[in-house]
Amino acid sequence: MTLLADKDKRFKNLVGKTAVFLFLAVLGIALIFLLAGVKKGLFTATSSVYFVADSGQDLSEGMPVKLSGFKVGTVRSLALDEAGRVQVEAGIGQKYFALLKENAVARLKKGGIIGGDVTLEIDRGSEGKKALVAGGTIGFERVRGLEEVSIEVRDRLLPTLDELHRILHDPEGDVRQTLKNLREFSVEMRSTGKRLDGLLEHADSTMTDEVSPMLRSLNQTTMHAENVALQLDRSLPVLLRKADGTLDNLKQTSATIRGAVEQSAPQLPGLLEDTHDIVEGVSTSWPLKNMMPPPESGPIKMDSHD
Amino acid sequence: MIRLFMLIISVALLAACGSPPPRLPQALEQAQTTDKNARRALRMGDLAHARTLFAQSLKQHQSVDDVDGAASALISLATVSHQLQDDEAAIKLLDRILLDQPDVYPLEWRITAAFRKAVILADMGRGDEAVSVLATADQQCERNCALRSGIDVLKARLALLKGDADAALELAQPVASTREAGKEEQANALRIVAAAEEKLTQHDAALLHYRAVLELDKSLGLSKRIEADLNGIARVLTHLGRAGEAASHARRAALVHEAAGRNAPAATSSGP
Repeated sequence: MTLLADKDKRFKNLVGKTAVFLFLAVLGIALIFLLAGVKKGLFTATSSVYFVADSGQDLSEGMPVKLSGFKVGTVRSLALDEAGRVQVEAGIGQKYFALLKENAVARLKKGGIIGGDVTLEIDRGSEGKKALVAGGTIGFERVRGLEEVSIEVRDRLLPTLDELHRILHDPEGDVRQTLKNLREFSVEMRSTGKRLDGLLEHADSTMTDEVSPMLRSLNQTTMHAENVALQLDRSLPVLLRKADGTLDNLKQTSATIRGAVEQSAPQLPGLLEDTHDIVEGVSTSWPLKNMMPPPESGPIKMDSHD
Repeated sequence: MIRLFMLIISVALLAACGSPPPRLPQALEQAQTTDKNARRALRMGDLAHARTLFAQSLKQHQSVDDVDGAASALISLATVSHQLQDDEAAIKLLDRILLDQPDVYPLEWRITAAFRKAVILADMGRGDEAVSVLATADQQCERNCALRSGIDVLKARLALLKGDADAALELAQPVASTREAGKEEQANALRIVAAAEEKLTQHDAALLHYRAVLELDKSLGLSKRIEADLNGIARVLTHLGRAGEAASHARRAALVHEAAGRNAPAATSSGP
């Protein structure tokens, strides 16, 4: 050994230094796994709650369960029962059970305009109710996403706007007829005003004290009504033109949105396929592949009583 | 700083040790993806879509002469057809394996196909045909064959359907006490034991076994079978003169039936 001894100070205690380096490496890896485990909730005591969904669409094993926006558990298993409904088991951190009542409801929400994140949020239930116990059953609701709501609003709004457009432009319709009546009314009111002026001039002096103010007031009202009718006569065509413009804009906007959706639609399958490939690749790589359930193989199950 | 960098590099190298498995040829990958989608549709309860996808998967496996994949898809397709009450189609699909040349499909697939055909025939009330088809599977299935327990339980079920409670009891008892049979078949065997004992007027033993199978079926979450167990308990309790308890169990069975959304009224007079 002495023959091979190196005088260079940097090589002193080389074995010790290497051991320290390796120890630190192993410690680092262990810490990463520990942190991943803590993050994944492996060290959190959980208990199951159950609910029944009409279908398993958008539900998946491992999906996070949230309470007031915070992750409190995950979906453990999905199983199809004999009635074709989906029995769902969710693991919830035991410390959160105190916050949940027996009439708590799990709501599946979808965000975003097209697609978007799907979240399973638990509504904690009524204050007066008993606390939810481990192994208990809660309700389930599927909240419609923005996409469904916007389609429904569009479906309802467009026929209404078309109807409004038709009503405003129908020469025999109520709006046009009302305008015509108002115009005739203003002409009649003008002659009525003139007659009232004459009546006031020839009224008996004894009646002047009581009737004159009343007649003058009526005269003023008539004049005011005439002004209003004239203003309406001027303003309504402008309003109608503006309404027409708004309708045109809405139609253009709708057409633009439809065009944008149609343009982006062909790209979606490719995008989805790429995403699928990435997820597939990641899920079959160490260490994630050890965390994934083994892929099903062979024919689907059937026992002697199926 | 250098040590920290080396630590990170070491961790990255360790992580890189695992690489994803090599990709299969495109046709096989497509067939596997279709198969996976079919299973997903089945889990979601969309049986019609699952059937379409399994049919597609069958064609894809056949197009590359993947015998195992094709056999698996054929059997899955038959099973889904049976779940959709299309039993004649299911039997025709299984016959494609059973009636083909013996060297086309390996023995394990022929046994599986024969077993499933026998189950479907038993469900259709064609007991004699089921016995004959099951005998083929029984002959070919060795002691350690994966379907051994299922075949024995089905033999017991067919014996009970023919009214031979003693034979049913003899066939089902060994499976009911074997953990290796799997939870489903153990529960099925226990249910047959209970029903056979009920028929042989051994009511105390029948009650005990119905209660045991109820617990097993609850852990499996199978509402139709839970309902059958509760009805069995109700019948036995009635024979034992415990009318109050019997009514309570019959009510529970009706509740299970109603909650499961089945239309027909709960059956209280028949066994498994």
